[in-house]
Amino acid sequence: MVRSLKENVDLLRYSHSSSLRTSGKGTEAGYFTRSRLMGIAGSIILFLLCFSVPAFAHRVYLYAWVEGNTVYTESYFSGGMKVKNGLIEVFDAAGKKLVEGRTNDKGEFSFRIPEKTDLRIVINASMGHRGEYTVKADELGGTSPPETEKEQALKATKTESRSPVQIDTDQIRKIVEEALDSRLKPIAQSIARLQEKKGPGLTEVVGGIGYIFGIMGLLFYFKGRKK
Amino acid sequence: MHISEGILSAPVLIGGAVIAAGGIGIGVKKLDYDRIPQVAVLSSAFFVASLVHVPIGPSSVHLILNGLLGLLLGWTAFPAIVIALFLQAVLFQFGGLTTLGVNTVTMALPAVFCYLVFRKGVMSNERWVSMVSSFLCGAGAVFVAGTLVALALMSTGKSFSAAAKVIVVAHIPVMAIEGIITTLCVRFLKKVKPEVLEVTHG
Repeated sequence: MVRSLKENVDLLRYSHSSSLRTSGKGTEAGYFTRSRLMGIAGSIILFLLCFSVPAFAHRVYLYAWVEGNTVYTESYFSGGMKVKNGLIEVFDAAGKKLVEGRTNDKGEFSFRIPEKTDLRIVINASMGHRGEYTVKADELGGTSPPETEKEQALKATKTESRSPVQIDTDQIRKIVEEALDSRLKPIAQSIARLQEKKGPGLTEVVGGIGYIFGIMGLLFYFKGRKK
Repeated sequence: MHISEGILSAPVLIGGAVIAAGGIGIGVKKLDYDRIPQVAVLSSAFFVASLVHVPIGPSSVHLILNGLLGLLLGWTAFPAIVIALFLQAVLFQFGGLTTLGVNTVTMALPAVFCYLVFRKGVMSNERWVSMVSSFLCGAGAVFVAGTLVALALMSTGKSFSAAAKVIVVAHIPVMAIEGIITTLCVRFLKKVKPEVLEVTHG
C-alpha cells in the first residue's frame, strides 16, 4: 500500500515534469512545489479510493413491491443505513397526495393500495435527501384483494350454476391465479431488490476522475493556445 | 450534504445558480495556466471524497474536503467543486442538475470563506497557531456548509434552527476528521516544501 502510493507520487511527478517540459514554462522551483502537491493530492485520492471500494455512497434509495392489496416500501441510504422516521408521501399520476406516513426503525413503510393508478412514492429523509420509486398501475392490477375474488367466485357459482363446465374453468382460473400470486410474490420482491442500486461502482468513480483530467487537458489546450 | 432534486423552490435554485456562476467566474479568472493540474487533482479528491461514508453519528454522512480545497485553491475551489459536483450528479445521482448551483454555493462558499479567514493563521510560523488554524479551516468549512444547507432548506418551510441542528450534529464526526486531514496536509506541506502554500495562494 505504502509502496504503491510512493510509486504513484513518482509517477505523477514524472508525468507532470514531462508535461512541463513540453510546455516549456516550468521553472525548477515551481516544478518541485507543484509536483509535491500533485503527489500528495494523488495519494489522498488513492487513499480515499481504497476506502470507497466497495463504494459507499450518499443517496437515498427507496424500493417498493406489491403484495395483495398492500404496497410495501423500504428506504435506506446507500451506505446501507436505514432511513428511520423518514417522511413517505404517495402521489397518483396527477400529483395528488394519496397517502402520507413515516418509516419505522427498519426503514419500512406499508400502505393499502388507495387507487389503481401509477403510484409515485417519495421518501424525504433529513438534510435535503430525497428518493422516489414509481409503482405502475398494471403492477397493482394483477393483484386484486383475495376476499373479493372469493366473493366473485361465490357469485359466479350462484348465478351461473346452469353451466357447470363454465364455472369450473372460472374457478380453476381463480385458483391458479391465487396460487401463482403467492408463488410469484417472492420473485417480485427479489426483482425489486435487484433493481435497487448499491451506489456507484468503480467504473463510475474512475470514469469521473477521467472526466476531470480530460477537462484539465482541454483547459491546457485552450489556455495554451492563447499564449 | 447534497440537496436532492425536487426539494427546493425555483427562487432558491436560481439564486444559488447566480451566486455559483459569480464564484466560478472569479475562480476561472484567477486560474492561471500553472495551477490547472492542482485544481484538477483536488477536484478529483473532492469528487471521490463523497464516497467515503463516515459510519459514526446519527445519520448517513460522508467526507466533503471543502476546507482543504479552499485552503489550497482559494477562489479556484469554485470551478473545482462545480465540476466534481456535476460529475457526482451525473454519475452517482448525488444531488442533481437543477440543484447544482445551490450545492456548489453551499460547499464552495465556505471553502473560500475559510481560506480568507484562516489563511494567515495557517501560514503562521508558530506551530500551534498553524495547526489550530488548519484544523479550524477543515472543520469550519464543513460547519459553514451545513449552516448554508440549513439556510437553503429553510425555503421548504423547515425551521432554520431545527434543520441546522440536525445537519451540524450529524457532521460533527466529519468535521473532526476533516480538521485532522487538513492539519496533516498543512504540516506535511510545510515540512516538505513550505513555499507550496504560499505559491498556491499567489
